[in-house]
Amino acid sequence: MARARKVFFRRRKVCKFCADKIDYIDYKDVKLLQQFIPERSKILPRRISGTCANHQRPLQQAIKRARHLALIPFTTD
Amino acid sequence: MRTYELMFVVDPRVPDEDVVTMTQEYKNMITAGGSQIAGEENWGRRKLAYPINKLNEGKYVLLYIASDNGKTALPEVEHRMRQNDKILRYLTVRTDEDLKRAARRQPAAGAGSPAAPAGAAEEREAPAPETAHQEEEA
Repeated sequence: MARARKVFFRRRKVCKFCADKIDYIDYKDVKLLQQFIPERSKILPRRISGTCANHQRPLQQAIKRARHLALIPFTTD
Repeated sequence: MRTYELMFVVDPRVPDEDVVTMTQEYKNMITAGGSQIAGEENWGRRKLAYPINKLNEGKYVLLYIASDNGKTALPEVEHRMRQNDKILRYLTVRTDEDLKRAARRQPAAGAGSPAAPAGAAEEREAPAPETAHQEEEA
């Protein structure tokens, strides 16, 4: 996975959902969603998490649904 | 054939028996409207991620609904839930399209093999595809 780039190593980012073959992102799966909400409870951008566009979209939807049901916070105060 | 998930959060001060009767009432409405209850989950008391109406906990109930002809009583059920101030939150999601798309992307694996590392996640994910199968048989 890790690919050498010039002198230093940079871990190559892989879409978690493609790698784990998760096709249906469930809003009830709090453990999974929590990996994509860092400290401030914002949705982790693709550029950081490496999630592909096809999976980021349902992920975003799932996080928003979970927020509505108070499974996941909107923000941390 | 359409499948839905209906999840709602009840005021924790409501006793468990009342939650059951309330749930039964909604289930009756749904079956009367021409759909089936494909499954039910009671998560019980759970901490809310943020306070709702100054409450820090809620009782979660989840219903899996299957409808053959596309007719459901869900709009009425939602209307009733909106007016019931014991219900803090509700959410109806139509799941058949997304599940079908997921199954198509992964035809061999289908329902039983999400290689997710999170153990609890697998348990929770399992009922949804199962309900899809049930209604296929029906």
